Amino acid sequence: MILLHLAGTHMATASGHLGISLALVAGVVGTQPAKSRSDAGSYEALLVALLDSAYRTALHLTRNAADAEDLVQDAALLASRGFASYEQGSNFKAWFFRILTNAFYSKYRKRKREGVQMELQDTPELYLYCQTAAAGLHAESENPAALVMDQLDGELIGTAIDALPDDYRVVATLYFIQDFSYQEIAEVLEIPVGTVRSRLHRGRRILQRALWQLAQDRGIVDELTQARGGDA
Amino acid sequence: MSAMGPTRLTCEEVFGRLDDFIDHELTVEELRLVEEHLRTCAACASEHRFESRVISDIRSKLSRIAAPPSLREDLLKRLAEERGGPG
Repeated sequence: MILLHLAGTHMATASGHLGISLALVAGVVGTQPAKSRSDAGSYEALLVALLDSAYRTALHLTRNAADAEDLVQDAALLASRGFASYEQGSNFKAWFFRILTNAFYSKYRKRKREGVQMELQDTPELYLYCQTAAAGLHAESENPAALVMDQLDGELIGTAIDALPDDYRVVATLYFIQDFSYQEIAEVLEIPVGTVRSRLHRGRRILQRALWQLAQDRGIVDELTQARGGDA
Repeated sequence: MSAMGPTRLTCEEVFGRLDDFIDHELTVEELRLVEEHLRTCAACASEHRFESRVISDIRSKLSRIAAPPSLREDLLKRLAEERGGPG
């Protein structure tokens, strides 16, 4: 079973609670794999339970399936070597994702950015809400968000997240895929909670703009507005 | 928010707390005040429903990708190798 309870997490400092540092990623400490067979079994059980979500997270961090597999493997091996420093009963998920994101920053972020990254321009609050209202999609539906979101599949949403600027993409990925709280994201990334909040709120607005743009580019908006017009 | 804080929030004040409300990041008192406002303000309630739906849909659709089966096998093999045995 994954140990997800957060005893004391909200009171702990970012560096103290997770008990691991960038040095682990650099291989400075924790060079021994889990010591005993029971340690290894315990670690593997915790790890396997996180594997799907670790892969999804890595996929949006690296934007590449092969790199995502490599990142998960790198993080898993680093975590195995540092498992002795993991405090039993604390938040394994946050501990592991701190290692994974450190590994990402250490290895992949240095690479030349690939793919399209959107410009970091200010996007108004409630962007999708205002756009769908302006398109007349609120007039006849009690659930205008569903009208648009039902037309956007996971691949398209993933494309929009992948286009976010790095700092916003990392926070958004931990938020949307791991469902971490602001405090947990702050601990994983070793940044202040206020920074998490501002990046997440702004990142969500940028993401909404990207989703609306994709919906326009794919003809989804036209189809929805024509359908509404036809219904009227 | 102290005991001397407002007993009601305006639309603008709720708007400024909407993201934190959706993310369960408000204090108990702020949470109560926002909930109270949303019960009586159709416009703010509509915005809240919209934003919540967008976020929950994104979460739901991103959760459908699974790790390749080979990743688990390769990983357990590498961990066993690192421990110096077949596992």
